[in-house]
Amino acid sequence: MRNMAMRSQIYEWTNTAPGGTGFTLFRRSTDTSVALANANTETSIFIGGVGYNITKPAETTATQFVVIEDVSCTPFATGSATNNGGFTQIRINTTNYFQNPDVTQQSGIPGTASPYPRGYQNILKTFDLYPDIYVLPGQVWDVIFTNGVALATATPADVVAVFVKYTLYDGPDALIANKLLELGITVNPNNVDWYKRTLIEQQSASMGGMA
Amino acid sequence: MAMRSQLYEWTATASIVDIQSSIFIGGTGNNITKPAETTATQFVVIEQVASSGSNPGGAATGTYTSTAGNAGLHMFAQVRINTTDYFLDPDNKPNDGIPGTASPYPRTLTLQPSFSLYPDIYVLPGQVWDVLVTQRGAANNAQAVQQCFVKYTLYDGPDALIANKLLELGISVSPANVDWYKRSLIQQQSAVVA
Repeated sequence: MRNMAMRSQIYEWTNTAPGGTGFTLFRRSTDTSVALANANTETSIFIGGVGYNITKPAETTATQFVVIEDVSCTPFATGSATNNGGFTQIRINTTNYFQNPDVTQQSGIPGTASPYPRGYQNILKTFDLYPDIYVLPGQVWDVIFTNGVALATATPADVVAVFVKYTLYDGPDALIANKLLELGITVNPNNVDWYKRTLIEQQSASMGGMA
Repeated sequence: MAMRSQLYEWTATASIVDIQSSIFIGGTGNNITKPAETTATQFVVIEQVASSGSNPGGAATGTYTSTAGNAGLHMFAQVRINTTDYFLDPDNKPNDGIPGTASPYPRTLTLQPSFSLYPDIYVLPGQVWDVLVTQRGAANNAQAVQQCFVKYTLYDGPDALIANKLLELGISVSPANVDWYKRSLIQQQSAVVA
């Protein structure tokens, strides 16, 4: 499917699941919050066993290329009754993307800097994920949520969310994405289109030369 | 009239809690007479999809709520081309689509978009398209309204042919690029005549 080769994709995680269970593969309106008993617990939003999950780790095949463009989560403010959010870290294979200047581990992007929903508690975005994060073919990627405070079960105020926006390049467009990476050019839909046009122009020129 | 900015606003008249419903022919709210489809001389570019959203937490009931007007509404909008859902989870399983919380309609000071639909979604000539909405989280406010908004551009006749040509050339289909292609054709023709 030619027009499906570059697709804008989203993933929203919430710590909600049917009462008495830890996680779910299907959202339901009756889902309630799942507890994260201790503050500063790291939870994978894909396969962490808490809230909305998917069936296997997020990974790219040999013909896929993923560009993560935005990550945001519920903000966290010490002492606030409503800002019960936390931080999000991106992990590629076993490497955490965000590190302290001394190369030690940190929790990642604060929800206060990149809030979801945007405007929640009148908090607007401070952080922009640029340059984007590339997940190369064959890599496993994950988004790790760290809660700032303990979250209780079946408590509406303790519902937290993480939002990820990424673009999936598949098939020929993934090959072009790899080529752009080799050339040191940013991988985005515009540049992939530009590379395609260049190929077509080269082909047209060589056919003209032959004629 | 060959390139037209179009929109469609849908408002529910019955509950769609945990039910995926078409905003065009779903049988609830304002509907149209037949599925949305492009003819052989039409090309549609979907540029924006938004739905009712709310903030998490903060209310007495529900799991994804707020004290604002849309309390409890946690809607999602999925785009379907023929039989294929556009938005997938990383395990390739179709998900509910764009959360209204990420792409809210209406936008407010306390609920602004986190998501912009880029690259756009193309509906090629002869394809059927649909927008399917789902609500997760029961509204706990009588004033809550379930709504969805779609903004798209319809290219018709010669402009649809140009849109197809741009797609072949790997150029984004937008009104500016269609105009650019027309100007190129005219310039080429002028050069030949001269």
